[in-house]
Amino acid sequence: MIEARGLTKRYKDKLAVDDVSFVVRPGVVTGFLGPNGAGKSTTMRMIVGLDRPTAGTVTVNGQSYARHRAPLAEVGALLEAKAVHPGRSARQHLQALAATHGIATSRVDEVIDLTGLTAVAGKRVGGFSLGMGQRLGIAVALLGDPRTLILDEPVNGLDPEGVLWVRNLAKHLAGQGRTVFLSSHLMSEVALTADHVIVIGKGRILADMPVTELVDGASRRTVRVRSPQQGDLADALRREGGEVTAADDGALEVTGLDAAQVGETAAAGGVVLHELTPLASTLEEAYMALTADSVEYHAGDLADVVGSAGGPAGRSAGPDAGTQAEAGTR
Amino acid sequence: MSAAAPATRHDGPPSTPTVRPVTFPRVLRSEWIKFRTLRSTVWTTVITAVVMVGFALMMASLLRLATDTPEMAEGMAQDPGMQAAGMTGTFAITLGYSFAQLAVAVLAALVVTNEYSTGMVRSTFAAEPRRLPTLGAKLVVIVVTVVVVITVALAVAYLVTLPILDAAGMSVDLSDAEQVRALLGCVLYLATVAAFSLAVGTLMRHSAGAIFTLVAIFFVLPIIFSIVTAASDAVWAEWVNKLLPSVAGERIISTGPTPDTLLEPWTGYAVLAGYTVALLVAAAVTLRRRDA
Repeated sequence: MIEARGLTKRYKDKLAVDDVSFVVRPGVVTGFLGPNGAGKSTTMRMIVGLDRPTAGTVTVNGQSYARHRAPLAEVGALLEAKAVHPGRSARQHLQALAATHGIATSRVDEVIDLTGLTAVAGKRVGGFSLGMGQRLGIAVALLGDPRTLILDEPVNGLDPEGVLWVRNLAKHLAGQGRTVFLSSHLMSEVALTADHVIVIGKGRILADMPVTELVDGASRRTVRVRSPQQGDLADALRREGGEVTAADDGALEVTGLDAAQVGETAAAGGVVLHELTPLASTLEEAYMALTADSVEYHAGDLADVVGSAGGPAGRSAGPDAGTQAEAGTR
Repeated sequence: MSAAAPATRHDGPPSTPTVRPVTFPRVLRSEWIKFRTLRSTVWTTVITAVVMVGFALMMASLLRLATDTPEMAEGMAQDPGMQAAGMTGTFAITLGYSFAQLAVAVLAALVVTNEYSTGMVRSTFAAEPRRLPTLGAKLVVIVVTVVVVITVALAVAYLVTLPILDAAGMSVDLSDAEQVRALLGCVLYLATVAAFSLAVGTLMRHSAGAIFTLVAIFFVLPIIFSIVTAASDAVWAEWVNKLLPSVAGERIISTGPTPDTLLEPWTGYAVLAGYTVALLVAAAVTLRRRDA
């Protein structure tokens, strides 16, 4: 259980985290989603006491991290791949950290085994690939068998097999009743791994909800409908409270009504339908819509990319894409 | 690298490793593992000892040579620096301190700064978030290491120079309180330099900056001020010179009469110890306050 209250961090003139409050509950995987520079890492560093909050407090399992007598048994954190001296071997690194908590060498070997580092445990970390460094970081996080795990971008640099392993590991640990807090800037990753999601942008919490709710609710659902009696249908749908726009190919895109309501309205009005397609929005679209204003580092043509690759659903996010373009030109 | 094997391990009975509270002895053990598992620290330590013994041999041989060469003995006897140090066998076997101190200073600073330059410090403070025990443990590790290494180096230096110094009629006299003070002072001085440098490393956090500062303090400034004080009679220059950490501290290693321009041995050491305590306090305060 992680509880943040009014957590704020200011670096000189930059407000990295702005009055953030949230609770991360045990038993589920909570995703921490946001663009690069949104404040994810800073928040996670404040949780384990590496950065001192400018204001606010954060507790882990009911106490601030530094007050725990055996911090590694409370929180295992992967904060940065390679927070390691490159001159030591993976085993030496783990042994040095294990020593602070009187953790036996057998546990060190266990986490080496668990993270698939057995073959390279005696090699100097300086020669490790990003993926191996990441596995070592996860080994460190697991060392104290912690009740809470904080994983900052855990799948960075991992091969597909490693990514799958991290996903399963996170779910498995949450299944044991542990708190798992996992950050990513990839919405697809969070959709696959997390049950609950906290979205952060420019240091502020934009959403805190179950992943399914974010997908369903954050972006408006659109129904695509085609009829030879386009005009009658549009009028009928508007009377029912739907918002109707004409798509490029002559179809109508309806928001504010679901597919069933559109079908029933058509039937009631005796209108023939040639197509009735609910356009489910993906988490990616929901995320884009949410963070459109808060992306810190814009690619110049981001709006174009969203517009063309998103297809019909992408167009439903039209107003948001417009905002992005504005932000991008700033 | 297999990811399949770990996945099957999850199905086994959940292991419950024993995790104990963080205590100072445990942090000390951790810091000792960190210290001995880096090649650079091990090598610097070995080199320090070799330098101590090497200089002892060189100086002993010079003294032996001087007994056969009257002009050389004359010259040495009139050199003010050598008079202040005291022309004894102890002077010969402790001589290496002036070079060993640079190795010790760099070693002690790196114990902290290498953690910042590599990012290791975040792992360290995630495991020991109170931070001060870590600083304390690093201090104990470096000071004890220096005490042991320098004691051993002096013992070896004593043994290998014994026949040479005997032949020169300048054997180390362990019944002379002043010489014993100088020998112990050599160990004490270098241990204090280590503590001083650890504090500087903690305050500066950057390896290059800390090493530059320490070399300036222990090597460059004393040279500059020895020139300035020799060239002018300025009182301020004399005071700055005698209060420099190395100039004041190394008085404890001398066996000769104290010149007017320098502090008494224990007074000088107390000045260095004062600087060291002040720096350690500052290091402790900033270490707790700053982001890692």
